[in-house]
Amino acid sequence: MVTRKFTRRRFLKTTAAASAAVGLTSYVRTSHAAGKLELGFWDHWVPGANDVLTKLCNEWAAKEKVEIKIDYIPSQGQKNLLTIAAEAQAKAGHDMLALPTWWPADKAKDLEPVDDVMKVLFANNGAVSPLIEYLGRVEGRWIAIPATPGSQIKGPCGRIDLLKQHAGLDVSKMYPAGAAPDNALSESWTWDAFLAAAEKCHKAGVPFGIGLGQTADSVDSMGALFGSFGAELIDAKGNITVKSDAVKQVLEYMKKLVPVLPPDVFAWDDASNNKWLISGKGALIMNPPSAWAVAKRDNPKVAEQLWTFPAPRGPKGRFQPYLPYFWGIWKFSQNKAAAKSLMHHISERSAVEKMVAASQGYDIPAFAKLNDFKTWADEGPPKGTLYHYPPKPGQILSIAGFPAPPKIAAQIYTQAIMTKLVAKCTQGGESIDKAIGWAASELQGFMRV
Amino acid sequence: MKEDRRRAMIWSYVFLCIFVVFFLTPPAYMLITSLKTNAEISAAVAPWWIFAPTLDNYVELLTSPTYLTFFRNSALVSVLVVLITMAVSIPAAFALSRMKFWGSATLATGVFLTYLIPETLLFIPLFKIFVFVHETTGIQLINRWWVLVVLYPTLTVPFATWIMIGYFSSIPKELDEAALIDGAGYLQILIKIFIPVALPGIIAATIFAFTVSWAQFLYPLAFTTSTDQLVLPVGIITTLIKGDVFTWGQIMSGTLLGAAPPLVIYAFLMDYYIAGLTAGATKG
Amino acid sequence: MKKFLRRKSTIAFAMALPLILIIVLLVLYPALYSIHMATLNKSMEHFVGLENFAFLFTRETFWMVVRQSVVFAVSAVVFKALIGFCVAHFVHNIPVKGQRKWRGMLLVPWVIPPAMSTLVWLWLFDPSYSAFNWTFEHIGMAPVNWLGSPNWARFAVILVNVWVGAPFFMIMYLAALKSVPEQLYEAAAIDGANWWQKLWYITLPMMRNIIAITVLFSLIVTFANFDIVRVLTSGGPVDQTHVFATWAFKVGIEGSDLPLGAAVSLFMFPILAVAAIFILRDISRRGTET
Repeated sequence: MVTRKFTRRRFLKTTAAASAAVGLTSYVRTSHAAGKLELGFWDHWVPGANDVLTKLCNEWAAKEKVEIKIDYIPSQGQKNLLTIAAEAQAKAGHDMLALPTWWPADKAKDLEPVDDVMKVLFANNGAVSPLIEYLGRVEGRWIAIPATPGSQIKGPCGRIDLLKQHAGLDVSKMYPAGAAPDNALSESWTWDAFLAAAEKCHKAGVPFGIGLGQTADSVDSMGALFGSFGAELIDAKGNITVKSDAVKQVLEYMKKLVPVLPPDVFAWDDASNNKWLISGKGALIMNPPSAWAVAKRDNPKVAEQLWTFPAPRGPKGRFQPYLPYFWGIWKFSQNKAAAKSLMHHISERSAVEKMVAASQGYDIPAFAKLNDFKTWADEGPPKGTLYHYPPKPGQILSIAGFPAPPKIAAQIYTQAIMTKLVAKCTQGGESIDKAIGWAASELQGFMRV
Repeated sequence: MKEDRRRAMIWSYVFLCIFVVFFLTPPAYMLITSLKTNAEISAAVAPWWIFAPTLDNYVELLTSPTYLTFFRNSALVSVLVVLITMAVSIPAAFALSRMKFWGSATLATGVFLTYLIPETLLFIPLFKIFVFVHETTGIQLINRWWVLVVLYPTLTVPFATWIMIGYFSSIPKELDEAALIDGAGYLQILIKIFIPVALPGIIAATIFAFTVSWAQFLYPLAFTTSTDQLVLPVGIITTLIKGDVFTWGQIMSGTLLGAAPPLVIYAFLMDYYIAGLTAGATKG
Repeated sequence: MKKFLRRKSTIAFAMALPLILIIVLLVLYPALYSIHMATLNKSMEHFVGLENFAFLFTRETFWMVVRQSVVFAVSAVVFKALIGFCVAHFVHNIPVKGQRKWRGMLLVPWVIPPAMSTLVWLWLFDPSYSAFNWTFEHIGMAPVNWLGSPNWARFAVILVNVWVGAPFFMIMYLAALKSVPEQLYEAAAIDGANWWQKLWYITLPMMRNIIAITVLFSLIVTFANFDIVRVLTSGGPVDQTHVFATWAFKVGIEGSDLPLGAAVSLFMFPILAVAAIFILRDISRRGTET
């Protein structure tokens, strides 16, 4: 009895708000949510999307009598990474941060386990893909929960008219709005078909714009390609498996694809493929709906011909390039209880639905039961353009570097080994074996601990 | 002879025109793009010509409280940093050029070497220092614009001191000896004699400090997060470029507006700047 | 005690104290901490001594970055000095009345914050929207893969750096030119010297100090450059425009290996310190000569 009082008094001292006392009484069962909370969320590019999240948080804060401060931290200039690095080092900063893909695993020892939150979320929202577990669960404990804002799929987004005219592909028939994919057509949508279509479009002067630079878009495209061929650079146990036939197969494939891509793709950043599509110069890019959304504003004629659909199928399946965001609580936070309570609130179905709608369908929730919102069916023009954007059964969500141990895979990702491999044996003129040898040496360097 | 001179002048004009084209093409392009609508920029029909000029980009920025906050923060930080730089550099330069103390010679040449240590190396330890300061004194430095007022002097003071050492060294020693005989203290010598004589050098250092502060990118990127604490370069890049969406029209107009203060200052004080910089440098 | 306070050296020390404090607290101490950090392992839990450096020496990319940084810094500074020198001469040659506006126009690149002016260059070099390529295509030339081909990308980075920095050199040299006494030139002209001889025997020796100082300052600042490469190419394509500062950022922050990033940054210091010592010694020697 005495010890409990002592702990509570200490807790009261460290949370500055006088309203803490009031907060304590309104919360009976779960933790004592009160005090202050500093939140660092991803700065959404869709105008107005941040406001929806702010509103949801303020609702919660009013109910729970917590004083919150929200910062929207952009990924531009790697500001979010700077923040994560600095706060982890200094053990001070926001209570809850939005962490992209690899960072929960990387900062696992500084993050508060959230198994209790995940348990409730699983019960309410359904299961998550193995990829989310791979990224968010370290040594058996969940150290972050999947976040909806910012999570995106970078599948193909193509021009219905150009693909039909030059490549003989009717993507709106292959993946019709409001209905399941046409079985026969989607079965034949393989990487070989992709190559054939790319060649035809290149001849017609509207090449596919597949970036091969070092930013996320490019790396994720290659990640899906490598994954669908079963080409692992490092396997789940940490062995370097880059010298494999599957990797050679992929590189042979890319040697055929690169000549029909624009020559400067090796310098493309995340915005370059958007510009390629919006300007009308290209027939297809691998991107989330941001390109379509901007085209709606700047080049409506192009926008009304855009269709988002799943990636091609490879020998090991249909791999969709996926970039999930997470929300994590720092161990040094003084108000973990409140943070967890907030996590519950913004993961409720109604909250997620609002966020998806505000993002114009860009955000992808990670939970199975949350992938059926009306937003994707309704967004347009053209109507139904996003119907096939959220993941459907049969697709495998992939990230470049999987299934290597996350800390090592993160290096494969940030150092863009896959696109560099492709660059070396195409633009760089090296032989496939030499390029693979270089990759092996780089990968060896990533094993450092 | 006269013919030679004339020919030299004509050739000079020719080459100057060429160089001006080189130097001014990007700003001209900035101006052109800032007067276009987003649709026209995306259509990429004619980069060097405006079909439907619009002042929307400028209006949106000048009426946006966010952008004006960036401007305000930049202005505040730069002015304060200039004041601090002057307050630190002038006495230090005076001390290092006129008076001797243990280590002063090394400091005078060595102060320059602080530029060798890059910002990318320093910002994580600095972050930890600021957290420590917060924990011990309660002053929050992280994510506040005034942390830049603390940090920028590390970049401006060494060079400013160095300019001023050069300038002060060129002032004849007889002047202060005469003043000393008259019974003046060192502070009086500094204020009444040195500063007036070295005014061009001081103005030069001021302009340098202002320009450097205004243009900083990495330190504000690392240390300020909330939108209302950002300064112009970081503010433009983080708010006008989101994810993979660039709003070029506003970026261009934002950049032009952001470059205006230094340009204005240069326009007015340039003669002093040139005189001050070179006198300090050549004599140092 | 009072005498101690009155002493010249004490007052001097007090006046220099803020400077010393700033440098010690905000530069030296963090630098020492960074050195300490560079001796830790990736997770910053164990001391590994010089292992980070040893590891770097085995990395092909590291040596590429060293080469690129040196080439970048040296060629950029050489061009900036040359252009600054030539342009200063041209401005010097035209009547004084007109000089002001030409000087103003030529100073513009230096005055615009580099992080922002580089964005404009990024747009000018953009793969889809390059205004340069548009012009080229219109006059029948092939478009240039500015940022996508390794050599053009390196050229682009150097070009932008020269564009930003040349005005600084121009201004310094212009004022130095003005301080060369006119009589020297007239005397040489009477002796029959042509413009090349005047340049070599009068102008250059008189300006030697200022040339050395601007070159040193620019070398240091260019070597440590972050903004331009970061905004223009982020080190690409395939790491071929990375310089120390940008690669340190990539490895340290993006790759979550702060000690390794610190090691990369630290590597710059010895190189620059050597150059600095040489040039500064040369200057002070000349100073005692004249």
